[in-house]
Amino acid sequence: MTSLPGFTVQIDQNPYLPVGGRDVSAIVTVTADAEAADGAPAAAGRADGSAEIIIVDCSGSMDFPPEKILAARAATSAAVDVISDGARFAIVAGTNTAWPVYPTDGSMAVADAQTRAEAKRAVAGLRSNGGTAIGQWLRLAHRIFESYPATLRHAILLTDGKNQHETPEQLAAAISLCEGSFRCDCRGVGTDWVVDELRKISTALLGTVDIVPDPAGLAADFQEMMRGAMSKQLPDVMLRVWTPQQAVAKFVKQVAPAIDDLTGRRSQTGPQVGEYPTGAWAPGESRDYHVGVQVNVGGVGQEMLAARVSLVASSPSGQQILGQGLIRATWTEDEALSTRINPGVAHYTGQAELAAAIQDGLEASKRGDEETATARLGRAVALAHAAGHEDTARLLAKVVDVVDEATGTVRLKKKVSTADEMALDTRSAKTVRVKKE
Amino acid sequence: MTSPCPACGEPVGPDDGFCEACGAELAPAAVSSGGAGGAVECPLCAADGRPPAGVSPEGYCEFCGRKVPSGRDREELSVGLAAGVTDRGLRHARNEDAMALAATRVAGEPVALAVVCDGVSSAPRPDEASLAAVRAAAGSLLAAVRAGYDPAGASAAAARAAGRAVGELGGPVGAPATTYTSAVVDGAGVTVCWLGDSRVYWLTADVSGSRCLTTDDSLAEELVAAGLATIDEAMASPQAHVITRWLGADLPEPQPHGARFEPPGPGVVLLCSDGLWNYQPEAAELAAMALPAALTDPLAAAAALVKFALDAGGADNITTVLMPFPPAWPETSPRSER
Repeated sequence: MTSLPGFTVQIDQNPYLPVGGRDVSAIVTVTADAEAADGAPAAAGRADGSAEIIIVDCSGSMDFPPEKILAARAATSAAVDVISDGARFAIVAGTNTAWPVYPTDGSMAVADAQTRAEAKRAVAGLRSNGGTAIGQWLRLAHRIFESYPATLRHAILLTDGKNQHETPEQLAAAISLCEGSFRCDCRGVGTDWVVDELRKISTALLGTVDIVPDPAGLAADFQEMMRGAMSKQLPDVMLRVWTPQQAVAKFVKQVAPAIDDLTGRRSQTGPQVGEYPTGAWAPGESRDYHVGVQVNVGGVGQEMLAARVSLVASSPSGQQILGQGLIRATWTEDEALSTRINPGVAHYTGQAELAAAIQDGLEASKRGDEETATARLGRAVALAHAAGHEDTARLLAKVVDVVDEATGTVRLKKKVSTADEMALDTRSAKTVRVKKE
Repeated sequence: MTSPCPACGEPVGPDDGFCEACGAELAPAAVSSGGAGGAVECPLCAADGRPPAGVSPEGYCEFCGRKVPSGRDREELSVGLAAGVTDRGLRHARNEDAMALAATRVAGEPVALAVVCDGVSSAPRPDEASLAAVRAAAGSLLAAVRAGYDPAGASAAAARAAGRAVGELGGPVGAPATTYTSAVVDGAGVTVCWLGDSRVYWLTADVSGSRCLTTDDSLAEELVAAGLATIDEAMASPQAHVITRWLGADLPEPQPHGARFEPPGPGVVLLCSDGLWNYQPEAAELAAMALPAALTDPLAAAAALVKFALDAGGADNITTVLMPFPPAWPETSPRSER
């Protein structure tokens, strides 16, 4: 068995609870080691364990303007170029149905110079015509993935439109079929697609969602996604949380690089143990999680283990714990200790509020509720300013006129580009990390 | 009169510190080190009547999550001529006090010695500092006393040995530190040595004869000494317990205080951390609590003093060691740990 890299788990918390206190909150920073335990670079090889499918929207609207389908072809070809030798891959086209573009028999090709060239020829022949039924596309990708037992399965899904030719229920059923089978990064080109639709897919399939407003930017984005996918070495890592009896893991959220609430994805694997999916990891990759636990009240001076957080990898030889950290609780009468707010917890609580404020504000704006939109987006401006979140501040400034960023005094812009609104929406969950002292 | 060496069975003399045959130390100092290993099953769950639950390597119960008491949370030691109890108290998460006791014979005469240290919480790893200090000091002091050195010089050397042991704990994160108090009780009197605010008292049935043999190295004491405050005012100040001298990794040359006291009659020597004397600093009151039981059953009397401090609030770790004067072996030969 290839030796798996370890994980470093750091816990940042205030362990002190007041008398009668029950809520323990901690930021868990998980970093995959850059090297495997035996010292071999963890990035070496493993391409034969990877499988990639690129799903390209070929609906009629991709011809309006025609730059979209041209860019989609170019981007797909660019992505094919960076698939590692030995990795399996396939290309799927989607309209109100879906078909395999390469290989045409619905199998997966082994990447080499020849197959890459064949694939690019097939992609060059893509024409747009028809509707949009994304669930069908996902189902075909799932079928193709299942034809080869790869450990790291990843798809890129590109669309320019709304899921019109099937019901939301059909899409939801397709998403749940694919959950746990492969990861999927979603990209919307233009402004006629629906952020919430793609976000449902990317959230369930542990991927990202973003807007590519200008088709010209697509090729670089596809290459970056594919390189990211190729760097992943560790499939299906679970975040395992042990809690004491009668304690409740109230929430488990990924908070960096983006907010992703995993609370509802818990699978109970033991009487006091639940596991949350984190997807695949690249060597050296680092993410932050916010874990909240409610424990039984302890006596003053009592110390308790509120949670043990471990990273668990599944392999044919069984489960392996790759790293762990301890979240503690200690009850004290010293209010100076128990009232101290941990900076990491405060930071990410603010970032979560920022994401919520942006989404609320954009939704209110769509409804025509200008008062709520102004209030919520103003709050977002103040939070982004306080957290030093410059990327989000810049995106906000395209949607509102900022009068005072510290207090969050803003005016809604009279004319806002749809692309700017969608960019703000898709990127609202991205976070910045706490500045280390 | 000889007895067999517990290690090799060869006969050893009553005054021997070490077995001449195998080199084993015959009556090493007893140290409140928490025992060999942690509990295998959670005693807290057991006390609640629940089925046995395992304990994690970090010392937490795998069922209720509570920290399982470490061996150091409560320890009772007895070496015949001295007995002591140390307790975590009710407000602190761990016991940062430590004690070491030893009993030996010098030229056929019984000699008891004890060391009590209270780790400084504002410095890192105070629990390790106090334990390292008592272990090193008791070893040094016992060897010197057995070799017939003058108790005052031996006491100062032991304090320096303890200082070196604490110094070895120093690192980039800071300098661990501890208070230090030792007492050697022989047939002629008591030799004490200290740094910080752990105390040694002489307690006797003659109420007016009881007294504290040490002077705290604390801001409160310095304020009183400088005439800036009454003792009551000084002790009420939030800085009362800030100590002005200690044994620490940041102090390579400790300057311990020394004192010699020759009691006029029988009584008992009490070593204690501030976890006890915070609740009762008066020697006469402490004597009333400890005597007469301390003369015949020092372990029970030490436990009673700890219970008094726990009942009064147990805000700090509590350590009490009692050594009857004049030292005399109990009727039944040296007791082992209770």
